[in-house]
Amino acid sequence: MEWNFLAVMRDFDLLMLGLVNTLKITGLALFFGIPIGLMLALSRLSTWRIPSGIAAFIIEIFRTTPPLVQLFWFFFALPILVDIRMTPTIAAVVTFSIQSSAFFAEIFRGGILSIDKGQWEGAKAIGMTYPQSLRRIILPQAIKRMIPAFMERSIELLKTTTLVSTVAYADLMFQANEVAQKTFRPLEVYTIVALIYFVLIFSASQLSIVIERHLAKSGEGTVH
Amino acid sequence: MGHAWDFATIFQNWFALWAGLKGTVFIFLITVFLGLSGGLIVGILRYAPSRWVNLAARAFVEVFRNTPVLVQIIWFYYAFPILTGIETDPFLAAVLGISLNTMAFSAEIYRAGIQSIDLGQWDAGKAIGMTYNQTLRRIILPVAIKQVLPALTNRGIEVFKMSTLASVVGYVETLNQAKLIADLNFNPIEAYTGVAIIFFVVLYPVVQGTYVLERILRRGDQ
Repeated sequence: MEWNFLAVMRDFDLLMLGLVNTLKITGLALFFGIPIGLMLALSRLSTWRIPSGIAAFIIEIFRTTPPLVQLFWFFFALPILVDIRMTPTIAAVVTFSIQSSAFFAEIFRGGILSIDKGQWEGAKAIGMTYPQSLRRIILPQAIKRMIPAFMERSIELLKTTTLVSTVAYADLMFQANEVAQKTFRPLEVYTIVALIYFVLIFSASQLSIVIERHLAKSGEGTVH
Repeated sequence: MGHAWDFATIFQNWFALWAGLKGTVFIFLITVFLGLSGGLIVGILRYAPSRWVNLAARAFVEVFRNTPVLVQIIWFYYAFPILTGIETDPFLAAVLGISLNTMAFSAEIYRAGIQSIDLGQWDAGKAIGMTYNQTLRRIILPVAIKQVLPALTNRGIEVFKMSTLASVVGYVETLNQAKLIADLNFNPIEAYTGVAIIFFVVLYPVVQGTYVLERILRRGDQ
C-alpha cells in the first residue's frame, strides 16, 4: 500500500469548493436557526398554554428524531405536501435551521430561566413592558451565560451538515465522494477530508474553550 | 395541501420495516455497549500515571470528537480496507465509526465524573492501604458513574439517532428500509413520516426518563 496525494492535490480546488459550501450551509442554518430558536423559547416560556404547547411539541420532535430522517422528510416528502420545487440547498437550509433552532430554543430557555426573577420585577417596577424588559434587561445577561452552550451547539451543527451530502448538496463530504470516485484514491481523499474537518472543528473547540475561560474569569458561569 | 394520506402501503410492507427496526436495534445495542464500555477504559487511561498512555488517550479522544461521525463511517468503509487489507462491510464500518465516536464522547463524560470526586477520597483509599486500582474500582468509580448517569443516557439517545447514518453505506436499518418502501410504492411522505414517528415514540419516553433520573440524582445529593 502506497500513499499518493498527487492525484488528490490536483483536485484540491473541488474540495475547497465543498468546504465553502459546508461553511455556507452552517452559516445559513445559524442565521435562521438562532432567531427561530429565540421565538420558540419565548413561546415555550409563555404563560399562554397553546403557543407554549406548540413550541414544546416542535422542540421535542426535532430533538428526538434523527437529523437524517428530518432531512429526507423535507427533501422527499415536503414537496408532496406543499407545491414547491425542492432543491438540495433548500432542504438542507430548512432542515438544519429548524433542527438547530430546537436545540437553541432549549439553550435560550435555560439562559432566560437562570436570570433571577427580581430582574423582571425590577424592570416592571420602573415601567418597562415585557418586550422592553426582555430586550434591555434579561437577554443581555442571559446571552452572556449562554455563549459556551451556543458555541458547542454550533460545532455540533457543523459536524451534522455532512448529512447534506446524502441529498446531493455539494458540501465537503459530497465533494470528497466525487473526488474519490474520479481519482480512485479513496484512502487519500477521505483521510485529507477528515483532516480538514479536524482542523476546522478542533480550532473551533479550542476557541470556545478560550472564550469559556474568559467568561468564567469575568464571573459568568456556564448554563447547563 | 391536498394530499390524501394513505398509510396502507406502509402496513402492507410492515415486514420490510420490521427487518429495518431489528437492524436498528441490533446495531444500537452493539455500538452503545462498545462505545460506553470502551469509553470507560479510555476515560480511565486519561488519568494513567504514564504520560505516553495519557497522551495517546487524549489524541484518540480529540480525533474522534472533532471529526463528523459520517466522515468516520465513510472512512472505515472506503479508506480503512485499503490501509489494512481488512474488508469492511456496511455493518462493520458503521459499528467501527459509531462505537469509536461514542467511546471518545463517553470518555470525556467519565473523565468529568472522576474529576468531580474530591481528592480526599483518593487519599483515604490510599491511607487504608488500597492500591490505585482498588481505590478506583471500589471508591471512585461507583460514585463517579452515578453522577454522570444522565449524561451517559443522553449519549445513548444520541447513539440511537446516529444509527440512521449506517444507511449511508447501505446497512439495513429503519431509515434504509423506509427509503426502499418509498421508492417502490411512491409514498415518501408516509414512509418518512412513519420513520419519524417510530423514532419519536421510542425516544420520547427515554428522554423524559432522563429528566426524572436527573431529578432523582439531584435529590439524592442534598
